[in-house]
Amino acid sequence: MSVTVGIPRALLYYYYYPQWKTFFDHLGVKTLVSRETTRGILEKGIKSIVDEACLPVKLAVGHVLDLYGRVDYIFLPRIVSTARREYICPKFLGFPDMVRNNIDNLPPLIDYDLDLYRKGSSLYNFFYTVGRQFTHNPARILTAYKASMESLHMHCRDMEAGWLPFEPGVNHNHEQRPHDGNIHDVTIAIIGHPYNIYDRYISMNMIKRLQDYGANVVTADHLPEHVFRREAEKLPKQLFWTMNQRMVGAAFYYFDRPEVDGLIHVASFGCGPDSMTGELIERFARKESRKPLLNLTIDEHTGEAGMVTRLEAFMDMVRWRRQLDDVAATYY
Amino acid sequence: MYGYLGIDVGSVSTNLVLTGEDGTIEQSIYLRTQGKPIEMVQQGLKQMQAALPGKVKVIGVGTTGSGRHLAGVITGADIIKNEITTHAIAASNVVPGVQTILEIGGQDSKIIILRNGVVADFAMNTVCAAGTGSFLDQQASRLNIKIEEFGSLAMQSSVPVRIAGRCAVFAESDMIHKQQMGYNVPDILAGLCEALVRNYLNNVGKGKEILQPVVFQGGVAANAGMKAAFERALGHPVHVPPYFDVMGALGAAMLAREATNRKTTGFRGFDVADRDFKAGGFACDGCPNVCEVVEILESGQVIARWGDRCGRWSNALDRNQKIS
Repeated sequence: MSVTVGIPRALLYYYYYPQWKTFFDHLGVKTLVSRETTRGILEKGIKSIVDEACLPVKLAVGHVLDLYGRVDYIFLPRIVSTARREYICPKFLGFPDMVRNNIDNLPPLIDYDLDLYRKGSSLYNFFYTVGRQFTHNPARILTAYKASMESLHMHCRDMEAGWLPFEPGVNHNHEQRPHDGNIHDVTIAIIGHPYNIYDRYISMNMIKRLQDYGANVVTADHLPEHVFRREAEKLPKQLFWTMNQRMVGAAFYYFDRPEVDGLIHVASFGCGPDSMTGELIERFARKESRKPLLNLTIDEHTGEAGMVTRLEAFMDMVRWRRQLDDVAATYY
Repeated sequence: MYGYLGIDVGSVSTNLVLTGEDGTIEQSIYLRTQGKPIEMVQQGLKQMQAALPGKVKVIGVGTTGSGRHLAGVITGADIIKNEITTHAIAASNVVPGVQTILEIGGQDSKIIILRNGVVADFAMNTVCAAGTGSFLDQQASRLNIKIEEFGSLAMQSSVPVRIAGRCAVFAESDMIHKQQMGYNVPDILAGLCEALVRNYLNNVGKGKEILQPVVFQGGVAANAGMKAAFERALGHPVHVPPYFDVMGALGAAMLAREATNRKTTGFRGFDVADRDFKAGGFACDGCPNVCEVVEILESGQVIARWGDRCGRWSNALDRNQKIS
């Protein structure tokens, strides 16, 4: 009899899903991902969780509820830290408890700690504890762990080849992403948490919209880790949030790239770390770069007009400025 | 004579502008939207037709503002453009060399930074309405003052009262409190202007480099008290262009000229004013998104739909009018 583990399509799903899935596959455990975000899922989440939580957390609760009744376990690792001397947002840390205390009759949660903050901590320990839930064979867990790391690397290398997460057509050969027919004239970097920018509902399909307006979209996930870490060192002091380091590093990198015409910073309303990095990026933009930067804050709006107006105006601005630069280049 | 029509359907006002071929304004109309965008566009077209000398032929139409798609469908616009771009285009044509545009409309306010004649940066107010015209409107009516008199009354003030401008709700309770304490109305109005300007500069203008020349436009620019408050806060003169309240429509007309370059217009004629348009809507039950789909009907026939995320309804039309 095989069991099914539910994985909410939210938060760090967007980084680690390939790894998690491979791990469970090798243990003979079925996985089920919650359905794509809809208004219904978001509303369920909003109703069941404390008011102060940020939008992505509310949404994640909705995804947990979407798995309700369809799975034997829900995989909600308590992710404290994924890198030495760095932390993940504190809301992630408390997330399993928030869920447990607000929702009754949940299937059992798999919420072991993943904490790599201290020297000597290891990722394997986390996966070993999770694996023990399903098998007593340590060799099997080790094989599953190794395979899961391999699939995470594959995923990262696909991203570095220019694919977007979970885009149809990713072939895992790390081939350069093909152009979608027409080569776009502008390139826009979207800087934001993956769970905000890749979720088509709460981002109001921002990536697709920009592509429709004729832009190539690049994100922080297209960069290898060492690149954004190096770039983030331009800050006078290291940030202690891993994900925001990634965002700041990526923003600095794209500000320097000649092929990138503009940057869009996406924050969710009420996000503490984002309000900080948003400001850091904005200051950098003003001091060191001539590239346009747009700050977008997303929340529970369903009206798309605000988003559409800003994106359209931003694209107009980018194109207009480029034209001027082209003219200047021909005259001087 | 040939002309270009620009229509700006905002939350509070609906403006129409007709420019000649060289971009000069021949006629401008400012109407209150009153929540009835379709009727106001039609009424505006009627008034425009009546005001024009007989022989004007419209050879291009542009729409802008939050109701731009609606107006675009009704009139058959050649270009439907966001209000940031249209305001920037109009201001940079009317005031050459402008580097900062302060625009305060009914429901939103924005700042546009131009450098070398090109938009370099912009910002719009987020969820807060504390710095917008509808708040001034509301407070004026609460004090029983016509909005047109607001500015001149505020200018009579010698000592503006300090009012909390962070939030429209707090500002209102602060104002009531100051009234009860016996401050006179001009001082309160001037204090309100200063509070709005403070809020605008801290919120929308946060971190922006405001360089001269500064243009102040949008409906609120009619308010002399606001202009003076901006000048005091910025420490340099603020220019209010002659057609400050229809700049969005003017920009749309200018863009229509560009868009119809060597093309014929899609303008459906002034007689759309007499046709029967209706906006309907329904909640689609196809999936848990429950999108609110808007339908525009002309004589009972659907001519446009939007609002659905998946395209199920908007793509079902023969004429592909899918917007946003």
